[in-house]
Amino acid sequence: MNAVELHKKLESNAGLLIFGILFVSAIGGLVQVLPSVFQDSLVTPTAHTEPYGALELVGRDIYIREGCGNCHSQQVRPLLAEVRRYGPYSRAGESAYDRPFLWGSKRTGPDLHRIGGKYTDAWHRLHLVSPRAVVPKSIMPGYPWLADAPADAGDIARKMRILRRLGHPYTDAEIAAAPAALQGKTELDAVVAYMQVLGRPPPPDEGNQAP
Amino acid sequence: MPAGFWGGWVLTLTVLSVVGLAWFVFSLYFGGGGNQGGGEDEGPVWDGDLREGAHPAPMWWFWMTLAALVFSAIYLMLYPGLGSYAGALRWTEGGRLAASQAAWNTEFAEARAAIAAAPLDELQADPKLMAAAGGLFGRHCAACHGADAGGQANLFPNLTDAEWQWGGDAAAIERTIREGRVAVMVGWGAVLGQDGVAAVTDYVRELPNGVPAEHPGKTRYEQFCVACHGADGAGQPLLGAPSLANDISLYGDGEALVESIRDGRGGEMPAFGERLDDSQIRLLVAWLTRSESS
Repeated sequence: MNAVELHKKLESNAGLLIFGILFVSAIGGLVQVLPSVFQDSLVTPTAHTEPYGALELVGRDIYIREGCGNCHSQQVRPLLAEVRRYGPYSRAGESAYDRPFLWGSKRTGPDLHRIGGKYTDAWHRLHLVSPRAVVPKSIMPGYPWLADAPADAGDIARKMRILRRLGHPYTDAEIAAAPAALQGKTELDAVVAYMQVLGRPPPPDEGNQAP
Repeated sequence: MPAGFWGGWVLTLTVLSVVGLAWFVFSLYFGGGGNQGGGEDEGPVWDGDLREGAHPAPMWWFWMTLAALVFSAIYLMLYPGLGSYAGALRWTEGGRLAASQAAWNTEFAEARAAIAAAPLDELQADPKLMAAAGGLFGRHCAACHGADAGGQANLFPNLTDAEWQWGGDAAAIERTIREGRVAVMVGWGAVLGQDGVAAVTDYVRELPNGVPAEHPGKTRYEQFCVACHGADGAGQPLLGAPSLANDISLYGDGEALVESIRDGRGGEMPAFGERLDDSQIRLLVAWLTRSESS
């Protein structure tokens, strides 16, 4: 058989054509995506990576809800300029407890993966409510309603149980204590707690410190 | 899955697609199956009288595809792409970063080491270095302390005035930048009561004019506050206790002062020792202690 005959056969047989199209478009995914789902270095947390606590988990969900990821990425790429500006580049295993991961590629604001510990809680509070109170030239919108809304404790235990089924090592005690940990906390508290654990602690190994 | 399965999977699929494409293209042009062009009379007939003549595909398209195939073969030999095969160049992202870091070190390490060891007045005398230090401050410090280092939000201290909560000499400032600081003042509301808080607040407001000889807040100040702030209110930089003997009020005067005494305060400065290198910290110390600053 040669290519022209194959082409004719495909063109005159709709079922075969559909299969052929699906097969050819699947190759990229089969090569690039499928193995990464199983690849150890991508799904195994690094030694210093901990799953998020209850408050941080709620903060993460608010981060997603408010669309923070539309302007902020969470991946420091292994390039000198990025490492010097943000700190050690992001390791795949650091996102093992991110479902979904929030790497992003749109940077209207700075990358946030190594933001944990850079500013104090007090600064984050001021800045989230009214960014220009501390950074006059900032174009970030304010999120004042976070300060008044209570952190939603309603489904936190269920959320953690589902994540445990996906491999996050939460203990029964942690899950049982989760609603109490959110008691009296606002959404602002949750987002700040989430900010402070992002990228912390940085990976200890060689050659990635900001020179 | 056995170890190496996915490497083999990627390798097989990649090679098969490249080989498959090569076969398809070569067969199309040289397989003798009709690419020579048979005019309007060949090929299937649709809907009674619609024909798709088989015109030969142009040769430039063949050459472009051939070039792409050759490129992909060379690329897959040199760079990682075929499963676990690392490529002849052994290229990795980490390796590229290490190389650019090494190049950067060769160019700048000496100069930066010199800056880290240089006397402060020498750094302060160099306008270029001071401009660079100002840039560093803008990137790392201004978000809290303000672009002009004048403090912000009645929360982050003014770095241009005479008051240095944790000490204003170069060594103390360097330590503050490197290790961060956590100040703790407990709230005295429960101990002092409402009247007591009011009396002590008033006493503290009097301190800049000298220690009052008699004052309703004096006894309580001397009982609870002297340990950190001193009898004359001069403060204690080792504890981060600010001076009360001047007009500078970190959290603001007025109601904020009452709050400080009643509820306490917990000022915090994050550590920058991991984020900044020695030369950057040295430059910042020089910038903060230069004469135009304070």
